[in-house]
Amino acid sequence: MRSVAAIVGALLFLAVAGPLLAPHDPTAINIPGRLSPPTSEYLLGTDILGRDILSRLLYGARWSLGLAFLISLIGLCAGTLIGLLAALGGKLTDWAAMRATDTFLAFPDLVAAVVIAGLLGSGTWSLIFALSVTGWMRYARVARGIGLSLRTRGYVIQAKLAGLNHWSVARWHYLPWLLPTLTVVWTGMFARAILGISALGFLGFGVQPPMPEWGTMLLDARIHLRSTPLQMIWPGLAVVISVLVINLAGDILRDTVATEGDHA
Amino acid sequence: MITSLIGLILRAAVVLAGTALITFTLLWNAPGDPAQAIAMARFDALLTQDIINQVREEAGLDAGFWTAFITWVGPLLTLDFGQSSVTGRDVWPDLLTAIGYVTPLAVGGLAIGLALSFSLAIVATRRPGGLLDRFAIAVASLGTAIPAYWLGLLLILLFAVHLAWLPAMGARTPSHIILPALTLGLGVAASLTRIIRSGILEARDQPFLSAIRRRGVSPKDISRDHIAPHAAIPVVTVFGLELAFLLEGVVMVEVIFGRPGLGTFLVNAIEARDFPQVQAVVVLTALIFVTVNLIIDVIYRIIDPRIGGRNA
Repeated sequence: MRSVAAIVGALLFLAVAGPLLAPHDPTAINIPGRLSPPTSEYLLGTDILGRDILSRLLYGARWSLGLAFLISLIGLCAGTLIGLLAALGGKLTDWAAMRATDTFLAFPDLVAAVVIAGLLGSGTWSLIFALSVTGWMRYARVARGIGLSLRTRGYVIQAKLAGLNHWSVARWHYLPWLLPTLTVVWTGMFARAILGISALGFLGFGVQPPMPEWGTMLLDARIHLRSTPLQMIWPGLAVVISVLVINLAGDILRDTVATEGDHA
Repeated sequence: MITSLIGLILRAAVVLAGTALITFTLLWNAPGDPAQAIAMARFDALLTQDIINQVREEAGLDAGFWTAFITWVGPLLTLDFGQSSVTGRDVWPDLLTAIGYVTPLAVGGLAIGLALSFSLAIVATRRPGGLLDRFAIAVASLGTAIPAYWLGLLLILLFAVHLAWLPAMGARTPSHIILPALTLGLGVAASLTRIIRSGILEARDQPFLSAIRRRGVSPKDISRDHIAPHAAIPVVTVFGLELAFLLEGVVMVEVIFGRPGLGTFLVNAIEARDFPQVQAVVVLTALIFVTVNLIIDVIYRIIDPRIGGRNA
């Protein structure tokens, strides 16, 4: 558990403090010094406009990791709420919530996000909206599944008989049971959000230039693939390492939850 | 069986209706005046407010949301996608051209992905927990973390720029498909390997197998009659996921390699705000996706009679 917290904490630290560590202004254009190879001043070299690639990567963490954290959190809240509504509510609520889930799952989520972000106009807000709206369904299914299995537990029935309202039952008797599994789902969705943000950025529908975001940096690098092939390595590597690290955290978390579940 | 089949079909219909409603809500709320966009596309310069209003009326855009929705959804029920608002040409022929490009890419990617992941999973499960097994899992985990657009760029860098063995951009010759299909296939393989691996392991672990073995049934017959069907269940599930992966993959891969196809068609349509083209892709994708998942659900019930009853 501690290692998971450390991993997620480190990524968030990078998102918050990354810009402070940056040696240069990530948007400062320096045409004479453009396409510089790595030097002691520009550790990873400069891009086509002479901007420091290392600084852009560090600033990019704010978008790529920070936004992914935000998006996966929105999905967690919305999905859990919908799943609990389905589990606790009547048959009609359950039916409506599950058909809504099916509908949003009826479409490859990245394609849906591309269409939504594209039609709403490129920009950070439509990016957040597009990835959140396509990223809550897994939480909802998990929350509903566990919720349904809890419904017939003795203490839940007793709590209801004692006159506790739906919200209190959900808060005190469902949520503690849901959280471990939902956290495992959340790590997967955090990784998905990182990939989604950079994919939309790469297609030009995400965070807009000159803001440094890893996907948009790749888009830039693709154009100059032949002249400066090394430029595309860094942002891609940043995405891959972040996703790997989060998946690792998810695996550790899954094992912990599974073992604790055995004792319960 | 019949009632659950009808239930499944009804559910698919509800999902499609929901998709249509969401799509229209999106088009309705998209920024910019769609009437003006259509008018600009059709008449180019010399736009007067009269022309815009006329277009608005023609397209049924000045009615309320629900009236406009009904007018909009009617032709779609017969798969009539209308004309592009940019070129004024019928959407279908251009869409068919795109499908013609995307099909070999998707089939090639899937074939590469299935071949790679099955061989990797079979080799890995020969000795579970062994060196090869752990290696296969590590490769697959790494693969799922590599986004298609980066993998594609790396392959271009290696095979097209550095070694100059293969062409990268466009789709002029048959060899232009190799790198895109490889990019897609490697992604498919990474996402499939772990699932197939655990499918095989789980199938081998079934408690009744030892009973059957003790009865003297040959290992070959056991593999065919008992392990294979069990291992097939996760593979069938995965086909639904794979389809999603393929559709997402082709969008990225086509853009990276500058290849015409469904993804390029969609991205260009979005950039040009060509709503009829965008909605054609959306409706078609949803239709394919829902149909395939419906078929998967039915196959499920046939290969595993335990599934059915109340499933979510």
